[in-house]
This record gives sequence, C-alpha cells and structure tokens, in this order.
Amino acid sequence: MTWTVKILSHGRTVAVRKKQVLSDVLRQAGVPISLYCNKRGLCGKCFVEIKRGKLPPLGEKERSWLVAKGLSPNYRLSCQYEVASDLEVRVPSAFTVQEIPILPSIMRSFIRPDPAIRKYYLELRRPDIRTPESLLEILLDGLGGVRLGIQPAVLRKLEEAMAKGDSKVTAVVHREREILALEPGYTVGRSFGLAIDVGTTTLVMELVDLDSGKTLDMEAAINQQVKRGADVVSRISYCYENSEHAAELQSLVLETLNSMIGRLLARSRIDRESVYEAVIAGNTVMTHLLLEIPVRSLARAPYEAVFSRLPELHGSDLGLNIHPQAKIYFSPNIMSFVGGDIAAGLLASRLARKRGRFLFLDLGTNGEIVLRAGGRIVTSSTAAGPAFEGMNISCGLPALPGAIFKIRDEGEIRIETLGDSTPRGICGTGLIDAIAVFLARGEISRSGIVRNPARQIRIRENIVLTQEDVRQMQLACAAIKTGIRILLEQNRLSVEDLDGIYIAGAFGNYLNIENSMDIGLLPRIDKGRLNFIGNASLAGARQMLLSARERESAEKMVQAARYVSLASEPQFQERFIEALEFAPWP
Amino acid sequence: MDKEHILETMARAIVAGERSQAQELANQAVRLGLDLLEVIEKGYAPGLKEVGELWEKGEYFLPELISSAESMKAAMAVLEPELRRARIDAPSKGKIVIGTVEGDIHDIGKNLVASMLQAHGFEVHDLGVDVKPERFIARALEVKADFLCLSALLTTTMLGQRRLVEMLRAENLDRRFRVLVGGAPVTQKWADEIGADGYAENALEAVRLAERLRERSVG
Repeated sequence: MTWTVKILSHGRTVAVRKKQVLSDVLRQAGVPISLYCNKRGLCGKCFVEIKRGKLPPLGEKERSWLVAKGLSPNYRLSCQYEVASDLEVRVPSAFTVQEIPILPSIMRSFIRPDPAIRKYYLELRRPDIRTPESLLEILLDGLGGVRLGIQPAVLRKLEEAMAKGDSKVTAVVHREREILALEPGYTVGRSFGLAIDVGTTTLVMELVDLDSGKTLDMEAAINQQVKRGADVVSRISYCYENSEHAAELQSLVLETLNSMIGRLLARSRIDRESVYEAVIAGNTVMTHLLLEIPVRSLARAPYEAVFSRLPELHGSDLGLNIHPQAKIYFSPNIMSFVGGDIAAGLLASRLARKRGRFLFLDLGTNGEIVLRAGGRIVTSSTAAGPAFEGMNISCGLPALPGAIFKIRDEGEIRIETLGDSTPRGICGTGLIDAIAVFLARGEISRSGIVRNPARQIRIRENIVLTQEDVRQMQLACAAIKTGIRILLEQNRLSVEDLDGIYIAGAFGNYLNIENSMDIGLLPRIDKGRLNFIGNASLAGARQMLLSARERESAEKMVQAARYVSLASEPQFQERFIEALEFAPWP
Repeated sequence: MDKEHILETMARAIVAGERSQAQELANQAVRLGLDLLEVIEKGYAPGLKEVGELWEKGEYFLPELISSAESMKAAMAVLEPELRRARIDAPSKGKIVIGTVEGDIHDIGKNLVASMLQAHGFEVHDLGVDVKPERFIARALEVKADFLCLSALLTTTMLGQRRLVEMLRAENLDRRFRVLVGGAPVTQKWADEIGADGYAENALEAVRLAERLRERSVG
C-alpha cells in the first residue's frame, strides 16, 4: 500500500509506504516541523492544516489549543496524526523551526534550535482522597508517563507550585531526562539561556531565548582577573603565591559574570529563575580558574589539564546567579593549549563539515592555528607573546576606548581611536598598521630597524613606537608565521592549496588585511578567501546552547582532533629566526 | 692579501654574518701559517665586539646575532683542530653547563645564549630543555664547570632556578660553580633573591657577565 502526501506549503510530494506519524513524514520530506515535546502531544507546536484527507476526532488538548490559537477545526497535531490515506496538508511557518544565523558575518551558516530545555504546560489531575497518589506520580503521568529524574531541591518545591497554580503548572524538563523545575501557571515561552565567552582579557555574554534561538541582549566586561596578571601564566603563578589566591581569582571572574547577568536580566525584565541553562567557552586556564580547580600542572611541561570534557554542572555548583538547578555546560577543551574557546570557534566556523583545506587562526597571546585538510582537524599553538593585546609595548593598550586601532598614511599620519576618544595608546590592530605604514615610508627597515637616530617614531603627543616595540611585534608576527608554515609543511600543503583562512579573535574586522600581509603576519592569499569571524567562541557557545546536537558534534570534533607541538619541531628555531623579517610571504 | 687585510676581512665577515667567508678565511690563515691565536684575537674577536655594539644600538636583532655567532663557530671549527695539533691550548674562557630548567621546554633564548658564549670562546655543554637539577649538578661536576646557566621562560618554572641554587647550597657546592640565570620573566631582583651569582638580560650581556666574573676569579 502506498499513499501520497502533498505538502502544499512547501511544494513537495512524498510517497508513504507504511503507516507513519505525519510529523515523521514531514521531517523526512525536509520540512522543519517543530517537534518540541518529542512527539508526545504535550506542547501544541506541530499543527498542520489537513486540506484533503481523513480528519480524526480532536483530542481534548488539541481542541483547547485550536481555540486558544484561533485555528480552524481542520488543523491537527502532526505528531498525533497517523498517515493511512492520501493526504494534502499545509504547514504554517508558525509551526516550523526557524533557522537562525550563527555568525552574522558569514552567510549560509544557520542552525535549527533544538534546545535541551523544554517547557510543558500541564493541567494536572487534582489529588483525590479516594486515590491518594503522590504529587510526583501525578506530575509524571501528566508528562506522558515517562520516567524522569528529579533532584530533592525540586521535590521540595513541588507541593508549593501545584497548590499555587491550582494544579495548572509548567514543567521544565532537561533533555527529556530530568525535571529541573515546576512553575505555577503557564510559563511556556519563557525559557532563557546564557552563552558566555570567558576570555583572558574580556568576558562577553549573550542572553538567548531558548525557543526562538534569538539573542535578546548582550554584555561585555573586562575580566577583573587582569588586576592579578595580564596573561594566563602570570595568573597561574599568582595562584601559587598564596593559598587564598585561587579563591580570589575565582571570585573576581564570578562577580563580574554575575553583575553582567544582573544587568542583562534587569534590562530584559527577566527573573533569574527563568534562566535554565548556560554554556561557557573559555581557554583551559580560564575554565579551570572559574571552577577553582588547581592549575599548577598547566604551567609546566608536559602541561596537563585536570579536565577537558565535563558533564553538565548545576548553576548553584558554580555560583552563577541564574536558576539554582540550571545546567552549566563547558565547551570541551581540545588540549591544554587549545581550549574550549577554540572548540567553540571551530564549531561556529563549521570547519569540520567543510570539504577542502582551511586554516583557522585565533590571534592572541597564544596564537592557535588549526588546519582542516584531508577530512582531519589538526590543532597547534604558538606563543606569540602579549604584543597583539597591546601588552609589553611602550605605548600599547588593550582594545579599550582611547586605543588607536587604525593608522593610515595620507601624507600625514591619520589615526582612529576606539570610542572616538582621545588617543591613549595603540592596540594590536593599530600596531600592525603602524609597522606597515612606517615600513612603507622607509622609517622602519624590513629587518626591523627604526632608522632615525632617536630610534623611535612619534605617532601622537606621548605616543611613540620605540625600537623595542618594533622588536616585540617582530617576535609576535614571527611566531604566527612560523606556526602556519610548519603546520602546512607537515601536512605537505602550501598556502596556494588553501581554500580559505578564518580569522577569529578580538581583531575582528579591524585587522587591515593588506597591512597584515605586508608585514608577513598573514600569508598572501586572495582577499576573498580570508574570512573574519570575530568572536567565534561566543558564537559557538550560543550554538551549543541552542542545540544538543551541536554539543555532540563539538565533542566528537574534539575527540577526533589531533594536536601537534610546533615548538618541538627541530626546524622551529631556524624558521622562527628567518621569519623575523617583516616580509610578505609566500 | 696581507695579514692586516686578512684580519680586517675576518672581522667584517663576522659582522656581516658571512658564514662561508669566515670559514674560508680561517682555512686561508692555516695555509699561510699565520699565528692562529692572533687570528682569533685580532681578526674574529673584534668582529664579535662590533656585533655586540650594533645589538646595543638596536641595529642588530636575533637574525643578525645568530648569523654572526654561526660564522664565528664556523671559523673556530677550522681553527680549533689546528691549535690542538700544534698543542696550543685554545683560548677557553671557561666551562659552561647550560640548560632550560625542569618543566620548561622553551629553548630559543637558551640556544642563543649558548651560541654566543661559544662564539666568544667558552666551552659550552648544552643539556637541552626540561633539565632536572640533579642532571645540571652531575654534568657540572663531571666537566668541572665554571658556570651553571639556567634558563626559564615562565614565571611558574622560574622556581626551578631557586631549587637548583638551594640544592647546590645543601650539597656544599655553591662555591664550586657560579650560577647565572636568565629568561623573559627573570630579573636581577629575582637573581638576588634566590642567591644566584648573576643575571643577564640577553645573550650578549650573558657573555659580558661571564667574562667579568671569570676575570674576577682569575685575577
């Protein structure tokens, strides 16, 4: 027996060979019908209009939803509708899952929200003196009779919620495995999550609507740990100066995160109890410090991390001011030097799914270089030093208001500052511009000599580029350049073989491509093949927040990724010294 | 080419980092039967001195420094066997055991220091990276070293320098060897604090420091 199902709204027709639930047929036909409650008829999000075909009697819930949503009587829940005849249906877009862009700057990178948190509105049986069941049994029965876990903290509030809502409640279920909360009344549609990028210098956080996948608002702040050291190694040493320092570092970052959460929730008028999930992406040291896990082994060969992948933790374990039962997921670390921030960035760049050969670069104190080629992912890192973050540079400044981030030569030196404020110093992208501009003017030689007798170049009042600054930039650029070259050579590839280069990290769109190529930081490559993807770590965290499947792909990718140590390559030193010249390559 | 001219060309070969020229001039000196000690002192050594001055002025950076050191080593590779054959002691300024401390695998800075010390006439025993204090001490005793040079690139591994100094003291060897420390996070203050004999900011300063300490002990 074969039936034909015509999906009028999507212009598709499929043949059905055996009895099947309509929602499955729609999914197989590529229609992204919402399956929020996993086909249990609990959520009312998969209605379709039956234009021609059998109309079975309405269920009790179905009927009340039809009325509530103002739908005509020939709508049915597709997850409860069995196909056993020819059919013509129309699927309104309100009942499909909208794909949302992950990286606004890259087209064609969309994901379909598939959140781990689901909310079900239930009108439960009232307890009856003749059959004195437990409240939990009534609740589980209302949820379709499945077995779900529940923490004592949630049990303690069960009676209160049911009484307050007069048995009309909303259950918050995590991954169809655990009841995270029970709320009185109808709260479906109010479930929120946080995507958090815990950087060594900056913290960035997005408040996300878990159902629509939309970002509602965002916050950024300086990681207050910078007071105790600019880079990860100095933070680690700080930890071991005194037994109380580890706790201090943890509270410095946690307090900042909590005040960011406070501001976000206040602006969107959302209470902390409606935030059920957070995904955190950070480098290995940052995530260890956040959990106050000893970092000593991360700072000495062979650089061991205590953890790479973690099961979900609870909001209260970490001390984040969100729902105490909220699930906290950490983006998995790849290796000690290549952390969850890079895993998240790789996920956002969709590198693992691309055919061809790509490089992924994250330019910071530790330059991470990842190669995608031959179906594999090879990661490596190279110590660039903090020059790109404006540290160790006499006039250097992190990317903060007042930092010169662009420099041009228009006969006279033109500058642009962040926040359009009075120039206070130069940040990484500005330093790259400065080197390129003064190389072109001949004021700096390709070997890095500042040619004037004072051995320094004035850019603005009190902002000068010294000989030593130029040397620091040489070292930083050479580390990246050597890393890229050796990684490519090890895989028998050249720059010409690359289909594209992705550049993640704080530089974002401010990085001047020509200048970067001219000083030899980036290889010469067709501009169309360079993609700036900005804070890919945050984008990846958001992606993992919205979709359990994306978490699985991140973990799979991390397990399959290889790591190569570039510095232990015998030719590293020679190549590094060679790379110190400011020269375009290849 | 007269001798003066040869000596001057030698110096220039070192300054320019012309490895093959430096070596060829050494061969020429051997063929002409020149006084090889004089060749080193008046030919090559002034070249190295000038390299140091250029480094200080900021005109020379790592690539230039390394090619000069390599040129010097290439010349010495010719001259040393000849001196040995003539039973003349090569002018060693002292014996050095050098390495990067335990837990640290950075080696570019350490290699550079080793290279410059060698170019300047020190006998250098390089133990590589991630070297345990016991190994440093054992080798220093074995070769009767004058100096122990410890490199550390991380604030976390710097502690290895302290550990070695403490170990020397515990074994009553602290007067036998001089301990010199270096590396990006290391400072004179740190050297004083742990009781090291000296600290150098860069490879050339390391050479000068070792020369100074050596003279003091000889004189």
